[in-house]
Amino acid sequence: MLRRSFTAVLEKNSTFTSDFVTEPYEAGWALEARWFVRILEISPGAGLTMTAQISPDGLFWCDQESGSFSLKEAGLASMPLRNFGQWLRLDARLSGKNPHVKVLIYLALKG
Amino acid sequence: MSAVASMRDSILRADTRLSKYNPLSRILFYDDFDEGVNGWCELVGNHAGNLDDIRGIARDFRPPQLSSCTFFDIGTHGSIEGTYSLKLATRAVPNHAAIAIKRLTYMRRGLVQFETWFTFKAEQTFDRASLSGWDGNKAPSERQFGDFSFSNDICDGENGKRYMGLVRYLNTDVDGNLVQKWMHKTSVQPTTRMERQGVVPPNQDFHTVNPDDWEEIPGGNQPLCFNETASKVNWHYLKWIMDTSRRRMVELQCNDNVMDLSSIEVPVYDGHYHGLPNLLNFLLDVRTHTNVRNFLYLDSVLVSVDW
Repeated sequence: MLRRSFTAVLEKNSTFTSDFVTEPYEAGWALEARWFVRILEISPGAGLTMTAQISPDGLFWCDQESGSFSLKEAGLASMPLRNFGQWLRLDARLSGKNPHVKVLIYLALKG
Repeated sequence: MSAVASMRDSILRADTRLSKYNPLSRILFYDDFDEGVNGWCELVGNHAGNLDDIRGIARDFRPPQLSSCTFFDIGTHGSIEGTYSLKLATRAVPNHAAIAIKRLTYMRRGLVQFETWFTFKAEQTFDRASLSGWDGNKAPSERQFGDFSFSNDICDGENGKRYMGLVRYLNTDVDGNLVQKWMHKTSVQPTTRMERQGVVPPNQDFHTVNPDDWEEIPGGNQPLCFNETASKVNWHYLKWIMDTSRRRMVELQCNDNVMDLSSIEVPVYDGHYHGLPNLLNFLLDVRTHTNVRNFLYLDSVLVSVDW
């Protein structure tokens, strides 16, 4: 049996002007995950810092041990994850004065 | 029953996966979601490369999930067989819908039968005020679930008629009052082309031109088994038959309620759509009416045909 994989697009050309979290996504079947965040537009001086979060129930969340990753300009960044529970989401913090950011966010899963 | 039919029936009944279904002569596909998503993907509105061009109603139908039905109070519920089901989840935004689609084309026109074992839930909330008057039986959560639908998208060959059959279970109205009826629609689903040509205004309900373009299916009053809490999952059987040779729906069965759909007019599009010959798409959706996420779960799906 080939390994199973699935990529979910959690945000499509979405624009944010303040901190946000992605929708809860169930990934209990997967052994590994990788977040991809593609910034299409970001205002000058702004920064986007993203932390992977995990949850046992999709309701209550804590940070995963993998740390955070940041982007300050348009482009693609990613972060791998292992040893997570059923649910995954990204906690995204915007910095800078009157920031705005336009993003695509993917979650690639393999199990 | 012929010897061949009897043998086929015996084989189906001996198969623990298929024996809970009633397939027509050819099984087109059987999807056990312990084996993956089986081709059910997020529906997205039309675009030509720029996602900003997707019309508002069709840009955020959410990716389907493989769910273990895990809840904060009991842990993992699992599906009928195995662990996983296909889950559609809305955002916690009033009128938001999640829609998944599986895309095929057809070899011949005739009967197309969609069967599934499904359940539906609203996300657990913790607002003590919503418990006012809770009697220990009637779940406040039940009134936080909007509706779910099963539908298709069919096109009769190049330059042929295009139409979409649909059945919706309307659990509550927008004020949270229980309705619990099966509905059919009375207008076509506005397409990207219709909206860009100004034929229709941007729609509020993805499936219809106007939000009120719905009528009750005769015999469609049917309370389902929500079962008292947001985390008790009871699977329901559904069978829905379409006759693509007549562009009509034939029958809807949910558990012990069998509804005759043959008198219902299926709206047909004006004009022709390019690039869709023999289109045979199947769609699932769930819609919340409130700021509570709504979920539709499918243990498995079987589609069979008489051709």
